[in-house]
Amino acid sequence: MSLKNESVSTTSDREIIIERVFNAPQELVFKAWTSPENLGKWWGPTGFTTTTHEMEFKPGGVWRFMMHGPDGTDFPNIVRYKEIEPPHRITYAQGNDVDPEMFEATITFTPQEGNKTHLQLKTVFHSAEVCEEVKTKYGAVEGGHQTLARLAEYLEQQ
Amino acid sequence: MLSPQLDATFAALADPTRRAILSRLAQGEATVTELAEPFDMSLPAISKHLKVLERAHLIARSRDAQWRPCRLEAAPLKDAADWITKYQQFWEESFDRLDDYLQELQASPEGAALTPSKEKKNVPKKRVGKHHE
Repeated sequence: MSLKNESVSTTSDREIIIERVFNAPQELVFKAWTSPENLGKWWGPTGFTTTTHEMEFKPGGVWRFMMHGPDGTDFPNIVRYKEIEPPHRITYAQGNDVDPEMFEATITFTPQEGNKTHLQLKTVFHSAEVCEEVKTKYGAVEGGHQTLARLAEYLEQQ
Repeated sequence: MLSPQLDATFAALADPTRRAILSRLAQGEATVTELAEPFDMSLPAISKHLKVLERAHLIARSRDAQWRPCRLEAAPLKDAADWITKYQQFWEESFDRLDDYLQELQASPEGAALTPSKEKKNVPKKRVGKHHE
């Protein structure tokens, strides 16, 4: 347990957190992540489709899939599951054949009143080649994003 | 995953002083002296930060010999903002679709079985086969 907390604090400088509350019970929201049939229904932005080549939903298992963009571009992806705790948590590494571990994602499902579920997606970026540099770069994401937001006005004038 | 220019942009943005300098330049051109004013820093220290920003093509310096005012270069910053936005958009749109899918599942017998029904006690019998649009 203390290890988990530790890993949160040591990566906080290069992570992006996205949260959403779903109007569905925890078990069902979790279930949506557990099979190619379920994932194929919603994974990816509008207009994207997903073809699963293989999927083994268990720690150490792999989900190998192709994302098809609306313009016909294909994006190969590999997800390697690290930890699975139904219906609370999924941790996986994602990448492609060149770099199978571009980033690690932890999805946490928390039940809320009224049969709702809070989902938190935490993405921690890392790069095999330039680990130290990357730490600096992604440290920029949070502060950088604030700066970028403030610069938005300026950019519109360009 | 990131292009070399994005790498340079994020690296340059990693420093709070450099972010503050960029924010100041968003209001308009400024000289090194003007940029140094809010910071407890020597001019050479500020110049060093400006060089990093210049190498990352986030600012440009005019050739006017003495003043050499700095101005913001918008394009690389916009690319960095676009990259973050794209990543967030991937998930926002995926979650929109997931939301729809979850509603669909809950309407199906399989999904309904997972939904603990609190209003079980007094459910009035509905006419089967008639679906309101």
